[in-house]
Order: sequence, then structure tokens, then C-alpha cells
Amino acid sequence: MTDLAIDVQHVVKRYDQHVAVKGLSLQVPRGTVYGLLGPNGAGKTTTIRMILNIIAPDQGSIRVLGKASNDPTATDRIGYLPEERGLYRKMKVRIVLQFLGELRGMTRPEADRQADYWLERLSLKTPDKDWGESKVDELSRGMQQKVQFIGALLHDPDLVILDEPFSGLDPINAQALKDTVVELRRRGKTVIFSTHLMDNAERLCDSVCIIAHGEKVLDGAVSAVKSAHGKRHIALALSGDVPGGVAAVLSDTTLVTRVDDQNQFLELELARDATPQRLLERLVAAGAPITRFELVQPSLHQIFLQSVGAEGVEEGMSGQG
Amino acid sequence: MVRAKLWAVIRREYLERVKTRAFILGCVLGPVFIAGVLFVPAWLSLRNLRADRANLIVIDATGAGLGQRLRANLDSASTTPKAPNTIDVRVTAPDGIAAAESLATRAVVAKEFDGYVVLDASTMRGERARYAGRKATAVGEMRRLETALRQTTLAQRLEQATLNPALVDSLTRSRLELQSEPLTEKGRGSDASRQANLMFALAVAFLLYMSMILYGQLVMRGVLEEKSTRVAEVVVSSVSPETLLAGKVIGVGAVGLTQQIIWVIGTVYVGSYVAPILARMAPSTTAATAGTPGAAGLGAMSMPDIHIASLLLILLFFILGYGVYSSLYAAVGASVNSEQEAQQALAPILVLIVASALFIQPVMINPTSTLAAVASMFPFSAPIIMPLRMSLVPIPPWEMAVAIVGLGVAFVVVILLAARIYRVGLLMYGKRPTFRELARWVRQS
Repeated sequence: MTDLAIDVQHVVKRYDQHVAVKGLSLQVPRGTVYGLLGPNGAGKTTTIRMILNIIAPDQGSIRVLGKASNDPTATDRIGYLPEERGLYRKMKVRIVLQFLGELRGMTRPEADRQADYWLERLSLKTPDKDWGESKVDELSRGMQQKVQFIGALLHDPDLVILDEPFSGLDPINAQALKDTVVELRRRGKTVIFSTHLMDNAERLCDSVCIIAHGEKVLDGAVSAVKSAHGKRHIALALSGDVPGGVAAVLSDTTLVTRVDDQNQFLELELARDATPQRLLERLVAAGAPITRFELVQPSLHQIFLQSVGAEGVEEGMSGQG
Repeated sequence: MVRAKLWAVIRREYLERVKTRAFILGCVLGPVFIAGVLFVPAWLSLRNLRADRANLIVIDATGAGLGQRLRANLDSASTTPKAPNTIDVRVTAPDGIAAAESLATRAVVAKEFDGYVVLDASTMRGERARYAGRKATAVGEMRRLETALRQTTLAQRLEQATLNPALVDSLTRSRLELQSEPLTEKGRGSDASRQANLMFALAVAFLLYMSMILYGQLVMRGVLEEKSTRVAEVVVSSVSPETLLAGKVIGVGAVGLTQQIIWVIGTVYVGSYVAPILARMAPSTTAATAGTPGAAGLGAMSMPDIHIASLLLILLFFILGYGVYSSLYAAVGASVNSEQEAQQALAPILVLIVASALFIQPVMINPTSTLAAVASMFPFSAPIIMPLRMSLVPIPPWEMAVAIVGLGVAFVVVILLAARIYRVGLLMYGKRPTFRELARWVRQS
């Protein structure tokens, strides 16, 4: 049990009109980078808030770093960057960081030392200019985001939770964030981030959990998730004039269930009983000018669309029944 | 651990506010303003005393020299020799009154004189005299003129009854004044200390009223700022909303106490400079006759007889009252999204505070009435009315106990309710909740 950074068991959270999280369970091993993926409104932020004990679940249990989630010794070991970000506008950056550090159980001198370290590291404190002495509202948006990021990492937490960390970041800050996540992982910390940007998740995460409508759709190590969906995806590139018969082949649902035009090539998803050989035969028979025909691993993006899409369909059916 | 975090919140609230320009400016301007409110009326009334030189035409149709005598009377009552009266006595026959009046009217319109008095046979009979002029609505001046006229007419009539003129003058000139002193179970107090008590009671009530509104608003703005900048979410992921609320209320309360202590010290300091100046300006005799509370209170510069126990009770009422109202303000701040929405949502709270303030005058006039007793025990008006009332009259112990216990209970209930609304509202964005939704928030958490 204690090798789990987070253990969420059958958690339910209801709001006035709807159920935000329906019996969600997920386990995050220590020392991994874990992606919480889902469309907007899937219940990611609600789940994160329950893990942080900001709101209480109606049912189920949550353990964080081996302790109950409302144990303050556990909360002090968590760093949190919320999706909606903001700081006290009129306060000096350094004082804000000291305050945030104190709220996580640090002493003020300790917090001040760490603030110095991070301000220098994220180049907010250079020999020319120390932004730590400026007021928050004198900083640019990008700089404020760096300060918030520092606020989440100041107390060297064992578990870092980042809610949509890449939204609104410019490429340079996004790179700094990625570098830091990789380094935290190397130092044995656990990082959880929620996102709906699959490219980032695919590159950074060891494991993912996809949720939709407050329920888990799938979870597991990224490699496992991909191979489970592997051997079903084909990259197909055609050149020049495409005979009309090709379109008929691609729209045959006994062969191909999904066509995703990636511009340079088409990403095809095979129907359950179809084989790549059968598809290739049909395409050749139709006179398709093939320049590329390759079995590929699906992108997380594909898997996401596939699983969340299927979820949507199921819901529609259950709604009728 | 929780204590260290609470302390961090209090510290931030306190230091960030004390460092603002508004606070420093408030500390400097507060005593100047309070001193102004206290001293300017006194100074104005003293200035009026100096400026009360008569500037009028006396149309004397009595044929008995009443006009001359009136002038002599007014001259002798005049306060400052530097500004002598300008009194033009015009003796005329009874049938010349109309002509003299139209002449005098022209002079008054031309602003050569302030007005004119007509003395005729009816005046001699002790019935009436007429005044026309620009100061006809100045109650004080009219009263002085009336007093002078009465004295003069009386003297004139006594003289006509063949009494010795010198004797008449000395007998009719009297400067009698009524001195009053309060008599209570505690014994008797001097008139000056009664005045000082009244001033003190009013100042305390006003200060409490202002601080409920001002510091309550500060708490509300602070909550709203944390909510609208979204910093609240990071903060409540580290401390419980209850700790945050408590830290905020205590921190802002400490700011309020700091400011008021500075105000009191500053006012006493400024007052110690201004009061002697006023005292020098006002010759002691006129200060006494002036009859304005400011001048009397200042002339004697007596301290209100307030005991340490009363001060501690006032402090208790301030703390409990501030706690009740600032928690309500915090709940409002947490349940709205903008300053504009907040102003609407504040209405019920403001009704409570303003209604309490409306009781100040009736309670001051009659501090022993049933209304005063009820208002000083009702939890939402007690923080303002009880300190006012107890500075004026002794309060029966049971009434004091009811007020304190009631306020204490209200304090606990309001804080618990506010903390629940705060907990839910802090992370709730969008539409402003209705009362029914607020009730659900309270039940939920």
C-alpha cells in the first residue's frame, strides 16, 4: 500500500444538479509521472480537489502518501498548481513565496532560501534584476506563472499535482516546466498532472488514466495502453489521382471503423475482424497509388478519441434504454 | 502546526494592510479629522461670541429714552472691547415711526446695518417690540436682544415708578445661569464631567459603528480578492478554510485596533495642543455664558470618569461585535464574484448596522427607556448601543449579562454559519447564490 502515492477507492462526489465523479478508483505508484486525461468537465479538477482535501468526497476513501487525505502531515508533502491561477497582486513576490512556504509548514528563513534558489533557477533573479523584490502585478503573465510554479515546489514536496499546467504557457515556460517535471521524476518524486493536451501526456507520462463523465474509461502504463490498442492502426499515404474505388474501400465499415486525415497521411483504424492483409488487397484491387502502408502504434490522442467517443455512444444508448 | 499556519495568515493580513498608503494616511488624517469634528464647532461658537457685536438701528418712539438705555445695556454686555457695537438710536415721534422705518429698511438693505428695532408705547407697557432685519432667524442673537430689551424695559418702568435709577440698574443687571449636575447611585458628578461622559459615549458609539462597517468591508474585500485572483485555491489546499477565515478576521481586527489606538493617542495629542489655544481665545466668563457643550467641556478640559472595567467591557463588545459582523462580511465576500454583487448582497447586513446606529440618538436622550434597554441587549445592536448606554447610566447586572451572553452566542453561531458558507463559496464561481442555495451550502458542509 505504501508504494502508492495516491490510492483513490470508489469515490463519489455529487453536486446540486449532477454527479461530478462516479465511483472513481485510481492508483498512482510512487516515483511516476501520472497523467489524468479527460475532456473538459470530465471531473479531473474535482478529483484533484478531493485528493487535496479541499472538498470532501460523498463516498469512498482517498489515501495520500500512505495517510488519510485529511492528515495535515500528508498535505504538507504535496505541491499544488491549480488550473485557475492567481497570486496576491499587491504583494512582493518574495513575501508571497514566504507565505506559501509557511502554509506548507516551512519556517520563513527556510522558505526564503528556497525562494532564492528557485527564482535564480527560473531566471527571475539575475545579477541585473531581482524580480523577487517586485510586486506581483509588475510581473508579466509568464513570470507570474513561474512564480506560481515555484510556490508549488518551494517545500520540496514528495507529490506534485499540476492541474492543466500547460494551459496558457508560452513555449519557453512550457519547456522549463517539462524539464522540471523530468527532474522531479529523476529525484523519485511523484508528479500528477491533468491535461487534455495528449501530446504532452504522451511524451511525459509513465501512466495515464482517461476519465470521462466522472468515470474511468481506461488506465495503465502508457506503453501497455498503447500496445493494448496496437496492431489495429495503419498509416496510409496515397499520391496523385486517387480512383473513386478507394473511397468505397475506406468507407467499408467491415474493414475500417475510423479514418483520421492527418494531411500527410491517413490514420486508419481496422474493424475488429479485418486484417491488414485484407485491407491492402482491397486497396490494391481498387488501384490505389500507395506510397506508404504501415502498421503503427496509435497515438494517445487516437486512443483518447476512441475511448471517450465510445463512452459517449454508450451513454446515449443507456439513455434510450 | 495549525497554529503556525494560522499565525502566518494573521501576519500576512496584518502586515499587508498596515503597509498600505491608505492605512498610513488614515492614521495621520484620523486624529486631524476627529479633532476637527470635536474642536471646530467649539471654535466656531467661540468665534461667534467674539463676532456678536450688535449692529442695528433703534427707532425709539417711547419718548422716554428707552433707546439710549438699550444701547447702554447692549454695550455693557458686549464681550470684546475691540469690536464695539454700532447702535444708531433714532428718537422719533409715534407718528413718525413709518417714515423712520422705511429709512431704516433702506439702510438695512444697503447692508449698513443688520436690522432695526422699533420701540413704542406698547414696549413701555411691557408688551412687545419689533425687530426686522437679516438676523431675524438667528435664535441666539434674538434671545440676547430680547433679554436686553426685557431688562431695559423693566428698568425703565421701575424708574418711572420713581425708584432710584442707580439702584434699578444694579438690581436688574443679573447674569444668572443654571448649573446642572447628574445624581446617580455612584454619587454626584460635576456638570463638566457629565458633558465629557456624553461626548465620550458618543465617540465610543461612533467609533464602534465606523469600525464595524470599515473593517467588515476590509475583511470582505480580502476574501473577494482571494476568490477573484484564484489564490484561494492554493491557500485552502494548505490550510483549512476555517483557519483562513479565522486568520483573516483576527488579522484585520488587529489592524483595526492598531488604527484606533493610534487615533485615540493622536486625538489626545492634537487636543492637548488645541485646547489651550481655545481656552485662551475664550475669556472664562463668556465661555460659561456661551452654553455650548464644546466650549464648556474644553474650558474645563475635564476627563470623563470612565473606569478600567468599563474600558474592558467596551473592548469586549468591540471584539464580539466585530467578530459577528466581520464573519457576516466574510460570508458575503465568499458567496459573490464581484464588488458590485457584494454591495447588493451586503444590504441585509447594512440594515442591521444602520438600524443600530439609528438607536444612538433616542438612547442618548433617554438611556433608561425600555427601547434603550432592548436595543442594548439585542445581539446585533448591542455592540454599538450597550457601550453607549453604559457610559451614560449604570446598567443593571442582569441586563449586562444578557447582552454579553446573547452576543457571545450570536458570535459562535454566526462564525459557524459563515465558515460553512465560506468553505463552499470560496471555490464556487458563477451565479450569485440565492438564500435557499446558501442554506444548502450550510447544510452540505
